[in-house]
Amino acid sequence: MSNDQAPKIDQRQRMLEAFDNKVADPYPLEEYRSIGRQGVLRTDGREKATGAAKYTLDVQLPGMLYARFLTSPYPHAAIVGMDTSEAEKLPGVRCVLRYDDPELAGGVAVSGHELNSVAALPRVAHFQGEECGAYVVADSEEIAENALRTIKVEWEQRPFLLDVEKAIAPGAPLTNPEEFPDSNLWMVYNEGHGDVEKGFAQADKVIEFKWTFGLNTWAGPERPCGVWRWNGDFAEVWVKQQRPHIAKRAISTWFGGIPMSKIDLHCLYQGASFGGWTQMAWNLAGTYLAGLASKRTGRPVKWAFSRREDFYGGNMDAGVFYVKVGFKRDGTITAVSERGVTLNQDMPTFGIVAHLMENTKIPHVRGRTEAAWVNKGHMVPTRCEMNINCYTVNLVFNHVADALGMDPVEVALLNDGAEGHDLEWLNARKAEQGFPVRDSLRECVEKGKAAIGWGEKWHAPGTKKLPNGRMHGLGFTWTHEWDDSAGSSEIGMYFERNDGSVTILGCRADVGVNAETAYCQIAADELGVPVETVRFKHMDDAGFFTMTPDTSTNLSVNGWAVRNAARILKQKLLETAVAPRAKTQLTCFPPAFPGLKPEDLDVEDGVIFEKADPANRMTIADFIGPSGAMGPITSTVGEPLLVGKEGIDYPYRGTPPMFDHGWHIQHGTYLGVRLKFCRQAHFMEVEVDPETGAVDITKIVTVNDVGKVINWDGCEGQAYGGAIMGVGRGLTEEVVYDERTGIMLNGNLLNYKIPTLMDYGDIETIMVETGMGYGPYGTVGIGEDVATVLPALVGPAVHNALGVWIDGFPATPDRVLRALGKA
Amino acid sequence: MATQMFVVAKTYVGCGGSTMATVQEKSVVSEDTVGLRVNGESHRVRVEPQWTLQYVLSEKLGLTGTKEFCGEGACGACTVIMDGRPVLSCMTLAIECSGKNIETIEGIARSNHPLIEAYIKHSCMQCGFCTPGFVVTAKALLDRKPDPTVEEIKEAMVGNLCRCGTYPAHIKAIQEAAAVLRDVLRGGVGREQ
Ligand code: FES
Ligand code: FES
Repeated sequence: MSNDQAPKIDQRQRMLEAFDNKVADPYPLEEYRSIGRQGVLRTDGREKATGAAKYTLDVQLPGMLYARFLTSPYPHAAIVGMDTSEAEKLPGVRCVLRYDDPELAGGVAVSGHELNSVAALPRVAHFQGEECGAYVVADSEEIAENALRTIKVEWEQRPFLLDVEKAIAPGAPLTNPEEFPDSNLWMVYNEGHGDVEKGFAQADKVIEFKWTFGLNTWAGPERPCGVWRWNGDFAEVWVKQQRPHIAKRAISTWFGGIPMSKIDLHCLYQGASFGGWTQMAWNLAGTYLAGLASKRTGRPVKWAFSRREDFYGGNMDAGVFYVKVGFKRDGTITAVSERGVTLNQDMPTFGIVAHLMENTKIPHVRGRTEAAWVNKGHMVPTRCEMNINCYTVNLVFNHVADALGMDPVEVALLNDGAEGHDLEWLNARKAEQGFPVRDSLRECVEKGKAAIGWGEKWHAPGTKKLPNGRMHGLGFTWTHEWDDSAGSSEIGMYFERNDGSVTILGCRADVGVNAETAYCQIAADELGVPVETVRFKHMDDAGFFTMTPDTSTNLSVNGWAVRNAARILKQKLLETAVAPRAKTQLTCFPPAFPGLKPEDLDVEDGVIFEKADPANRMTIADFIGPSGAMGPITSTVGEPLLVGKEGIDYPYRGTPPMFDHGWHIQHGTYLGVRLKFCRQAHFMEVEVDPETGAVDITKIVTVNDVGKVINWDGCEGQAYGGAIMGVGRGLTEEVVYDERTGIMLNGNLLNYKIPTLMDYGDIETIMVETGMGYGPYGTVGIGEDVATVLPALVGPAVHNALGVWIDGFPATPDRVLRALGKA
Repeated sequence: MATQMFVVAKTYVGCGGSTMATVQEKSVVSEDTVGLRVNGESHRVRVEPQWTLQYVLSEKLGLTGTKEFCGEGACGACTVIMDGRPVLSCMTLAIECSGKNIETIEGIARSNHPLIEAYIKHSCMQCGFCTPGFVVTAKALLDRKPDPTVEEIKEAMVGNLCRCGTYPAHIKAIQEAAAVLRDVLRGGVGREQ
């Protein structure tokens, strides 16, 4: 597949179709009770602090069996024969599934994310460690592992390649002939606007540089896993999945089709999830096979990867990149072109220069991504697919500043804009869409500069030696805030009988970003109830497709749905409060607010009251009434029960759940086609030892214009948590393969180094609130941003310290020494 | 049934904040049922010699708060307190723990240790998978050092990995819990949370 034409789309038209803030938010709240208030406790705090929180890996069911996969010892090999007889005889082994099983032969596809689909139990492995050939189910994980060791496999080894540039060279052996029979270059993606040749001709100066990015991985704490139990015809499935509804959709196609209504899906707390695995069809293969094994054994089956097996699902940033930049003497950039060869990307369509297009006034931009396949694990967006784009922005701006001897902050401010237009044009668009017109980047950099002491500390590269012999460096980078708002959301909400507390329904994965609390805050403020009385039940499939936490779209999609549902529910509450009385067989209820209209009433602190006479009041709890025979007959789901019995009037005080979805608000916004107004800027201070190449980060300042903070703990947690993850990815994290054997060398947490609490210096997180986001109340997502932008910042910080550019990331000591000509 | 067997036992004991390895070669184990005292309660558990304490706690005693993240002594998620010292339960064989006093996150939570409230207040968790291990390590620190400095907290907690990057919050929470504990020790009733 090739896409040689950059898309020609009328950006303005697209933008106007995409979103109209004036229509979308006709009732801005003047005051918030819990939204944006410091100190709102997270709803899951006690569960998680006390060890009571349950994860899929914790699931224990009576009679449960445990399953493990066979994995390939070779980077590219096919099974030509397999003897599982000893494994089958081992005491405690209950079932062995083989690739040539009649129910699996022909490669049953398990689907997964829309874009990839793999066989549940393949015969051929395309990387060392790939799950293939056999799946052993036993009384314990340990017995399953022992059984795997007894399986005798006859392998046919094939040639393998690990280097992307070698993989696309003419005559290279095929790395995955099953999927890509013609070439290891499976896709070329072109993007851009303007005419770069024209832009280079207009430049005073043109520079070129190359950079590389090693393979890193999510390294989250809960191993990929799942559990399946058949209850008669009903499939009860526990998924460790960021996207439970996509999993359910896939499950419904298995075993000849299972009606959605017969699948009971549980999505417990996730031991982290940063995208990644959720998009891997593999993740579902284990569950598919558990379903099959559960059917054969009549017992529940849990499968899990080992810690090492988890390391093969990598990040999609790895690759080699060539950049050319043209610019004027004053720092105005006229053109950028970049070619990247990326590694095993299932989805290269996120580009490599997208942020320069979306985020700057650079008139001529061109990017070409060549997606090559090598014999390593799959790459998937892991916090997040914008990483390469962020590296590009960072390195382009800092290289230009360096070439001109300018302050990189000034170069950024000079080139801020969108889609090739300047800031003035962008400001006109903000006004057109009903947003406040604020200079987000300037606000961010001013706050950040003050916090890090940029004015006093920034210096010419390689000029500041510290008393301890190390070199001092300061770095800066920036880009826009993003939320892809990819998808729709449905939310159910109702008042509980007896006490009027509020339940929000909607199945989604909790990955720890504290969005659940934010939704409770939104519902509480919109309904006029205390936030402590609101709960979001998100773990069990309630039939609603609630947007998952990926693509930073928590609040910008679900937030709308929660807010709209709350507004409808409040309206219904007030309508029923003035409605004719209700009767049941046993009792009748006095009218709550006779003679009034809904608009005469309001709700505060869980109390309905007459605006003109606040003493005329009734708590929601009293109004809703008790459950059971003494209360009004209502249904907990759907519309009020109309049983047609004598004595029941309609309408009456019922509280049917309210459903709403965010799709109409997000219509036309898939894949980030909207203009981005909010910016982020980050600063890093380092000390570099020129003898050892060691980089110590002493301070990080993150500044994010999040539009509006709903939940402070959530926002700040994403900022400092993201910064810490970014430090690891920028400095130490790299999955290393042995060039000769193709075997992964460091698939464990002893040798793959994620940061400890001693590794990042001080972190200061600053939130800017311009209200220019597309989410409710003007919010914008922050979940992916900092972890994605930060790794690149190590580059300019080290350059400022040493005066030389490292051209490879992570900036490990060997790469730093190489830049210094010492290695 | 008592069996006589030799095992090579590796015990990694978190001590004074640093993780030290002590290797006990060929200790004789003569039973496959161990008596464990967990959170003040006695259990007799049949164990296989290669089973880790983490496995026995979570899979056999249902104490799933003791998590396994790395499974090889690198992350602290599985920390429990054994006879007063923090121990990595994924690196400890259950069969060696006969007669030991073991304290897990469940016991700490049940005792209303001020760390719990402080952890909630300071939002020390994101996904929460690592959180119990942090609380247990912090409890062991406060047991032996009621007034730790920031440096001492960092040293004690450096063996606990959090992929979500919650570290800055822990330091505040541990300091606050320490202050509450000191008030209690002085005979006060603890600070307002
Ligand atoms: S699970 Fe025991 S130290 Fe990581
Ligand atoms: S909170 Fe997720 S690993 Fe620590």
